[in-house]
Amino acid sequence: MSAVVEASHLTRRFGDTTAVDDVSFSVQKNTIHGLLGRNGAGKTTLMQLLTGQDFATRGDIRIFGEHPVENSGVLKNVCFIKESQRYPDDFKPRHVFTSAPWFFPNWDAEFADRLIADFRLPLNRRIKKLSRGQLSAIGVIVGLASRAPLTFFDEPYLGLDAVARQIFYDRLLEDFGENPRTVILSTHLIDEVSNLLEHVLVIDEGKLLVDQDAETLRGSATTVVGTRQGVDAFVADRDVLHRDGIGGLASVTVGRLTPQDRARATEMGLELSPVSLQQLVVRLTGSNQTETVLEQSA
Amino acid sequence: MSTLTQPTLDEARIDRPGGASNILAVVRLHLVNRYSVFAVPWMIMGGIFVVNVAVWWIIFASVSSEADRADARDGITYSGALFYIFVYMLVLGIQAVAYTFPFALGFSVTRRDFWLGSALTFIALSAVYSAGLTILAAIEVATDGWGLGGTMFASFYFGGADASWIERFGLYFATYLFFYFVGAAIATIYQRWRNNGMLALFGTLGIVLIAGIALVSFTSSWPAVGAWFDTNGPSGVIAWSLAPTVVAAITGYFILRRATPKN
Repeated sequence: MSAVVEASHLTRRFGDTTAVDDVSFSVQKNTIHGLLGRNGAGKTTLMQLLTGQDFATRGDIRIFGEHPVENSGVLKNVCFIKESQRYPDDFKPRHVFTSAPWFFPNWDAEFADRLIADFRLPLNRRIKKLSRGQLSAIGVIVGLASRAPLTFFDEPYLGLDAVARQIFYDRLLEDFGENPRTVILSTHLIDEVSNLLEHVLVIDEGKLLVDQDAETLRGSATTVVGTRQGVDAFVADRDVLHRDGIGGLASVTVGRLTPQDRARATEMGLELSPVSLQQLVVRLTGSNQTETVLEQSA
Repeated sequence: MSTLTQPTLDEARIDRPGGASNILAVVRLHLVNRYSVFAVPWMIMGGIFVVNVAVWWIIFASVSSEADRADARDGITYSGALFYIFVYMLVLGIQAVAYTFPFALGFSVTRRDFWLGSALTFIALSAVYSAGLTILAAIEVATDGWGLGGTMFASFYFGGADASWIERFGLYFATYLFFYFVGAAIATIYQRWRNNGMLALFGTLGIVLIAGIALVSFTSSWPAVGAWFDTNGPSGVIAWSLAPTVVAAITGYFILRRATPKN
């Protein structure tokens, strides 16, 4: 294993807002990372910093061991697909796919053709006239067919329908199996990609809240359901992430449980259910009483 | 974590040049849409030419006396018809940075390779278009103004009818370069500083212009300014335009080096 991305104390300020705030993490080779967080959390800025498109206020970045800024040796191995990508005014999709191989040494034209057919993308329509979903499809195709050793997808599928999204997940996994590479995927559709992700980074207000492998993270919280009395007794000395209740029933989300805890809960007649990644992220970034629990579980 | 790192962790190398292949890739990217780059400019030129021919024909047909015709011909040598084609190139220069730059960066091109590739593209396109104009000017002179005594290509500003082809080519070439690079440089200011950059640029230009006029007026130097234009002639003035062209090429590069495309 080796680190493809290393960021240390990375900070980016715009005037008096801090978009990325003292973020440190590293990404191992040939893994699929999820970069999760709310709108404006700093995901795009972080990815722009990692790809040399933006300039850090403080901190250090290494991509394949080198600084990415204006380093074409590094950037040749990087593909950054972003939701807001602009295209030349008079371009048609065919111009994008014609020129892509000049910039991505691993470009697979056959794979691109297959994806174009999968997504039913019209090649000869001006990009300006494409629908939002078709526009996203261009990015997704470039991101997959470029086979860059390090690929960033920033909200790659705005406007893509469920079928097209499924195609994206399937093709990504298929191709990942044959041509392993490092993928960093930012998305709001967390449940959809939950099974894809091997590692999760959660960022909120510029700060890195979670840097954990997905498996551990999924087990890091559990919802306890039962009578109010029973639940209250069970969670008495635990940190509570979230609490719901109707009448005499309560549903409380707590941190990691040991097998003994689980056995005890069963004895007490309480139901335990895992918390989905999406719920976890919502709870972590949704309010101000966030950090406590995850720190304990991390 | 860093103990896990193996990939070439030699000293930090910033600004590693990408080599000729990256620069050529940018050139090809600029030219990938052949229709906009090659067809549209000639279509614009064709349209302007047709309008001009119509005007010449009207003059030719309605003015019968030979002396009056010569007069009209003299006037036509001050044709500014070619100006439009240069304005289109200004727009292409702006678009190269406004649209192609964010796209190229998305294709993992460095700013340096983008600018060098763009400069090369501008120079190549200027050469091709200048060659075309030079040929058209030669035909114009040889056919005595397309048989109607008209002037569009061999106009006064590009050396008139007596200029050598090399002189004409040089003048067209310098003019093309000026419009490409100035357009591109203005667009870099927008990429870097957005609207504030535009306001500052045009504000400054306005102030400099007014200050210049004031300076010349208060020192009663207008005759000297006129004399300068007179001595240099159109060729001299266009040759001098290489100075702002070079300034635009260099400042554009440094401005773009720290620019981040937004949406």
